[in-house]
Amino acid sequence: MAGLTIRDARKAYGETQVIHGIDLDIADGDFVVFVGPSGCGKSTLLRMIAGLEEVTSGDISIGDRVVNDVAPADRGVAMVFQTYALYPHMTVYKNMAFGLIQAKTPKDEIDRRVREAAKILDIENYLERTPRALSGGQRQRVAIGRAIVREPDVFLFDEPLSNLDAALRGQTRLEIARLHQRLKTTIVYVTHDQVEAMTLADKIVVLRDGLIEQYGAPMELYENPANKFVAEFIGSPSMNFFEASQEKGGFSIGGKKVSVKLSQEVNAIDIGIRPEHLKQTTKQKAVLSGTLDVVEQLGDHVLAHLVTGQGNEFIAKFETLGDIKLGDTLHFDATKENIHFFDKTSGARLV
Amino acid sequence: MAKRTLPRLLQAPAVLLLLLWMLIPLSMTLYFSFIRYVLNSLRKPEWTTPSLSNWRGLGNYEYVLFNAKDFWFAVQNSVFIVTSILLLTVALGLAIALLVNRSFPGRGIVRVLIISPFFVMPAVNAVLWINMILDPVLGLNGLAVEGLNGLVAGLREFPLLGGFFSLWPEIEPISFRATQTSAYAVIMMVTWQWTPFAVLIFMTSLQSEDQQQKEAAILDGANAWSQFRNLTLPHLARPIAIVLMIQAIFHLSLYAEIEIVSRGNGNKNLPYLIGDFATNNIGAASATGIFAVILANIVAIFLIRMVGKSLMD
Repeated sequence: MAGLTIRDARKAYGETQVIHGIDLDIADGDFVVFVGPSGCGKSTLLRMIAGLEEVTSGDISIGDRVVNDVAPADRGVAMVFQTYALYPHMTVYKNMAFGLIQAKTPKDEIDRRVREAAKILDIENYLERTPRALSGGQRQRVAIGRAIVREPDVFLFDEPLSNLDAALRGQTRLEIARLHQRLKTTIVYVTHDQVEAMTLADKIVVLRDGLIEQYGAPMELYENPANKFVAEFIGSPSMNFFEASQEKGGFSIGGKKVSVKLSQEVNAIDIGIRPEHLKQTTKQKAVLSGTLDVVEQLGDHVLAHLVTGQGNEFIAKFETLGDIKLGDTLHFDATKENIHFFDKTSGARLV
Repeated sequence: MAKRTLPRLLQAPAVLLLLLWMLIPLSMTLYFSFIRYVLNSLRKPEWTTPSLSNWRGLGNYEYVLFNAKDFWFAVQNSVFIVTSILLLTVALGLAIALLVNRSFPGRGIVRVLIISPFFVMPAVNAVLWINMILDPVLGLNGLAVEGLNGLVAGLREFPLLGGFFSLWPEIEPISFRATQTSAYAVIMMVTWQWTPFAVLIFMTSLQSEDQQQKEAAILDGANAWSQFRNLTLPHLARPIAIVLMIQAIFHLSLYAEIEIVSRGNGNKNLPYLIGDFATNNIGAASATGIFAVILANIVAIFLIRMVGKSLMD
């Protein structure tokens, strides 16, 4: 077992730089999720850790050892791929044993490890089948099993749930969480799905355009996003943003004033409020009003899509809608700690 | 039933035509193989017209199997030539396909050049090879040996070292039209012509190889050879089976190359033997033809089983 340290890691393909200097410390045993939109460099960074991509500059260390020039197989990492990447012509057993056979591990040791991993993942009955004869979920478990038998210091998961259907995705997510509790090995997990990130991670790394936007525990990112990008990316549905104009002693959204004293002087700001933090109130107390446009019924809650007088669309979350009809004007308020302010030009959060 | 009648009626002419196309030559061959039928005979002029009164029973087969000296040699030689070409084209095809599968400057041109031997006509291919490359005097073969001998002769002039080189024998160029070597000449030229076919098929298949599997293997510590053995080769099982089957069918009927290299001298296969017989003895030629059909079927059964198995996997 070991932690992971990344120091000023950069990656360039010819002239195009895709990773712009990343510093990251991952503690031993942590479950860290890289999350971000497609093209943000999260998979590239993972592949750099795995050794499948060369590091252009900077250092990647696993434990105390700089692994920049260490062969992928000798880094003490094991990877689970999005497409499973099982060896199609080998049985499940052989798939899991392949890495150990390459390392010339004794036969009985291989057998012990494979059977143990198969037991953990509940695939003991499929050991003699080929991957072709397995369902998507079973294949994913074999892929995880192949990683487990190598007893790595760090597990790398590259969007492992993307190819599964919704029901199976939820179930496999739970299994991965259980697996981490059981093995307590460091895991680096890449996904574009913020729900996976929130539910699985000890710590989340939000990436954009090859840079870390924020690194922290899931709830920290949810409650105190460092900037507008993180605020928008974390949380489902996304945070609502409103253009606000400066007024004496505060800002206003469409004529309704929010009193606040900011530590910095800025000209233009965006105000952000999460849909679940909008509370219905009277016209007098409201900071925000909108006309009901579309309603999404989701069973346990309702998402109401509204439009402000200025044409700003936003979402509010209700438990039930009651007797409100489309076209009605609704008024909202939110507690002070749930209203976020962002610099309009830089996107940075203002306190 | 009525639903099926009309389509069947519409298919009938085509099916019938195909049936006749196959059945008439086959039954004529069978018929001729059981009678005495020659093109020229001063002694027995009645044998020159095919007729049931010239019935010979299994006599032609007996003659071909036991009295004609070249039959078993031709069978053996057919199998030898086909097997050698198959092994060489698959091995070379694999090697070349793996090499050009990487990206390098000028890959497009290289690929076109690699494919081009396949567009040369077999007879032209044979003439070019035997005269320009394999000829012991004027061909590349002769020139290379002559140059080598000249070089060794020059080295003999040196003091001290010359003594060592004077122990070297003069090298003789190999004559590929000779009895012992003409089969090798045919194998070489056909391999040259058909390797591109194998390369083409393997190359398309290599393009579809899963790269993530390779990365998984790299992480599992597999070296290049192990990746080739455990991933690429199984992935190529189907294209290899297809290359083997198509080539086996084609090369069992080689003729032009054998004719041009040595006119069958020391190098006959079944089609060539049939041609030999057909200059006069149509009965024996037909009997040999039936044997060739049987041999082709044996090969086909083996290959279809193999391809079938690789398709099932």
